[in-house]
Amino acid sequence: MSEPITRRKILVDYRIRVSRCEICGRRYFPPKPFCDVEGRRSRIRYEDYFYRKGLFYSGAVIRRPTNRFSYLGSFISCIVEFDGGVRTPGRITDIVPDEGEVDVSEFIGREVVPRFRRTYVDGESGLIYYSSLAFSFADDYYEYREYKPVKPSEGSEKPGIVGYGVYIPKFRVKNTNPAMGGGVIERAVPFPDEDATTFAVEAGRRALIHSALDSRYIGKCYIGSESTPYAVKPSASTVIQALELGEPYEDGFFTGGLDTQFACKAATDLFIDAVALVSCPLFKADYVMVIGADNSQAAPGDPLDYTVGAGAAAYIFGKRDVIATLDHYVSYTSDTPDFYRRDGEKYPRHGGRFTGEPAYFKHVTTAMKTILRRSGLKPGDISYVALHSPNIKYPVRAALSVGFTMDQIRPGLVNRYLGNLYSGSSPTALAAILDIAEPGDRVLLVSYGSGAGSDAYIFTVTEKVEEKRDRAVSVRSQIENPKRRYVDYATYRKWKEASSV
Amino acid sequence: MTGRPYAAIIGAGRTRFGELWYENPESMVVKAGLEALESVEKGLHRADIQACYLGSFMYQVTNKLGLVPGYISRELGLNIPMSQTEAACASSSSALHNACLAIRSGMYDVVLVGGFEKMTDRYGKIVDDLMFAADPREFDAGFTFSGLYAAMMARYMYDFGKGDDRCRIALAQIAVKNHQHAVNNPYAQFRSRITVEDVFKSPLIADPVRLLHCSPISDGAVAVVLCRPEIARRYTDDPVYIVASQQATDHVSLYSRTSTVEIKATRLAVGKALREAGIGLKDIRLAEVHDCFTIEECLFMEDSGFYRKGEGWRGIYESIESFQGGKHIPYVGDGWEVFVNVGGGLKADGHPVGATGLRQVYECFKQMRGEAGANQVDVEGGIKYALCHNIGGTGGIANVHILTREVTL
Repeated sequence: MSEPITRRKILVDYRIRVSRCEICGRRYFPPKPFCDVEGRRSRIRYEDYFYRKGLFYSGAVIRRPTNRFSYLGSFISCIVEFDGGVRTPGRITDIVPDEGEVDVSEFIGREVVPRFRRTYVDGESGLIYYSSLAFSFADDYYEYREYKPVKPSEGSEKPGIVGYGVYIPKFRVKNTNPAMGGGVIERAVPFPDEDATTFAVEAGRRALIHSALDSRYIGKCYIGSESTPYAVKPSASTVIQALELGEPYEDGFFTGGLDTQFACKAATDLFIDAVALVSCPLFKADYVMVIGADNSQAAPGDPLDYTVGAGAAAYIFGKRDVIATLDHYVSYTSDTPDFYRRDGEKYPRHGGRFTGEPAYFKHVTTAMKTILRRSGLKPGDISYVALHSPNIKYPVRAALSVGFTMDQIRPGLVNRYLGNLYSGSSPTALAAILDIAEPGDRVLLVSYGSGAGSDAYIFTVTEKVEEKRDRAVSVRSQIENPKRRYVDYATYRKWKEASSV
Repeated sequence: MTGRPYAAIIGAGRTRFGELWYENPESMVVKAGLEALESVEKGLHRADIQACYLGSFMYQVTNKLGLVPGYISRELGLNIPMSQTEAACASSSSALHNACLAIRSGMYDVVLVGGFEKMTDRYGKIVDDLMFAADPREFDAGFTFSGLYAAMMARYMYDFGKGDDRCRIALAQIAVKNHQHAVNNPYAQFRSRITVEDVFKSPLIADPVRLLHCSPISDGAVAVVLCRPEIARRYTDDPVYIVASQQATDHVSLYSRTSTVEIKATRLAVGKALREAGIGLKDIRLAEVHDCFTIEECLFMEDSGFYRKGEGWRGIYESIESFQGGKHIPYVGDGWEVFVNVGGGLKADGHPVGATGLRQVYECFKQMRGEAGANQVDVEGGIKYALCHNIGGTGGIANVHILTREVTL
């Protein structure tokens, strides 16, 4: 496919854009500028189904796919019918059909929900194509929440977190060798049509749903990741287009955005920038989105190959309807080459035990101790600690050494079940805590990024947290979701490679 | 009352369908074309041909060819007007439609119509390339052509079969019947009999479609010679007249059509063709029908009006179950009997996409003149009218031609 064709398809496929005749109500997909029935009298409005459910109308299990889709093996293609009768083609994702004949009629009439996924890629060096014409069954792993934006409150408060969303893929691999993984017992695995950008879109969508914020009010979007699928071409622009962040103008949006890289703290480093931006009179928008997203990479057989996970956490920062105010901040950096990946290399390398004492522990504990000292708070004043978790041993040891207890640490130790989400690691730990936090709770977040540095933040949870809670898809519910599926090590490696092309 | 025919068919030729490893697209067309010329009993020379109408679908990608008229000019040694029509699987019937209009316009007296496809030269990407005849978003959803027809079949079985196993069996019996019909067809790609059990044991391609529900990947070419009806007897004592040539179109995309269990273009084109020919469905005793997948033959039997919508599978099942003896199995209904795809259809004769529409005409021409040899169908009272039904893609276009030997000029 060419670049111009891709751009034109993006405008329809990212949001499932449909045209509707206001006179007779007929809908058209792909959208067109007039109604077949009303002709010249047509009054066309455009709408989209990005947040809507549809019904499986019919389909087939594709056993002999086109070359473009051979990376998926067998899968289900379908026709989806939405409210108002409009139909679109689609593919059911995250399902591997049985080898025996599948009775497609059993799918007919089931509810499906759009997911933002890759369609396919043009080889190693061509474009990567994305679309929302990938669907999962509504009763599958992904819990559905309606997106109902509400008008933000008047006035402004102390800035902080307005909403958040975590996206963990459906599949898991178990660590069968207990000696490896440093306490990580199972990990999230991407389906072959996922990557860091699709994670970011899904997490961002959940953050918008959770905050109930109209996406047009967001004026900046940062994506922290060390596995963005393009070396040059921002994931941020894909996320902005898909989530329609910022005031729309022609076929673009008045929003800035960029991808950032600082190993596993690429996202948390921007939390302070987000808060600074919303407090800056020059910045005309009220909200900033920061996403930590990674399809964490590890060479086969490397110790990291027992810890890497996949997923994303998105945060919206602003000054209205804040669920957790940002009260204190410290960042500490040194040039410590403990973990790195040269440009063009597939997998990161690391210094083995050097990643511990002089790297992780030094930076994390320095940031942690400093923020306590500067804020005048003691470990006992903090309700929960969310830490970057390359494994389980490291964060526990670091937090205990500063005087925290397991009760403060445990709720954030979700990487035991998800693996190391790299840039999404400490943000996901923070989300797991916000899922359960009460108004007044103080939460300490400490990230770590190799290379190396740590950001420490102290948040205070507000009453708004409870009002928004039901709209979140909690981290715990994703960990425990009975629809999650396990794959073996070989499948995990195969899918990881496919999703990294 | 049959109106004035568009044209008379005075000759027809074809290649065998199958894997023709030693043929180029243009060499196949010339073989079929020369055979068509030589089949004209009272003689016809190349110089008598005033124009050529060609139909093909994928030559540009399978063989990196363009400007097909230039190739055919070189091969035939002619410098006459030629045009090439692309309408996916309905390419050559669309060329035939254009040829009919050209003769009726009075522009030409004698034209050659050809259809061809060379599918095996790019075996490794043919499944991808066939999707040119579908909507790009269907491709992006992972659909293959068999997948799209499987979606039709799944919905058909859901809406009308309602769990009745006879529906599933009927959709396999269509393949069994068409294979049986090809046994005595010397040009057919598959001349072997199969059973319903074979169909159900064949590999899954796109559930519920299995390999033996599908027409094959084929090479082949067909040509027919048309002339102005009034001069047909200069060339043959037994012309076959085209008394209806109708076309209807619908969305290229299956998902956006009103129904996925009806080919609307078929319904419209058959209706218009019958009205044009001034006959009723019951007058049709032979039909060459587009059976790229067995569900499509079933849909034709309903969309044409032979069976009511949703009851085609039952009619097919009962026709085949109650059949005794003979080499050709007719479909029967209330006061009618029609033989469908007596040469094996797309399923067994083969489906070189751009040649198929004319292959149907070739088959009817030979059958109506009693020239089908060992595969001659035995129709009580003879075949007064035959119908050719050719669709493109999943139903984005349908061409219907009605043929007869008896006209008043």
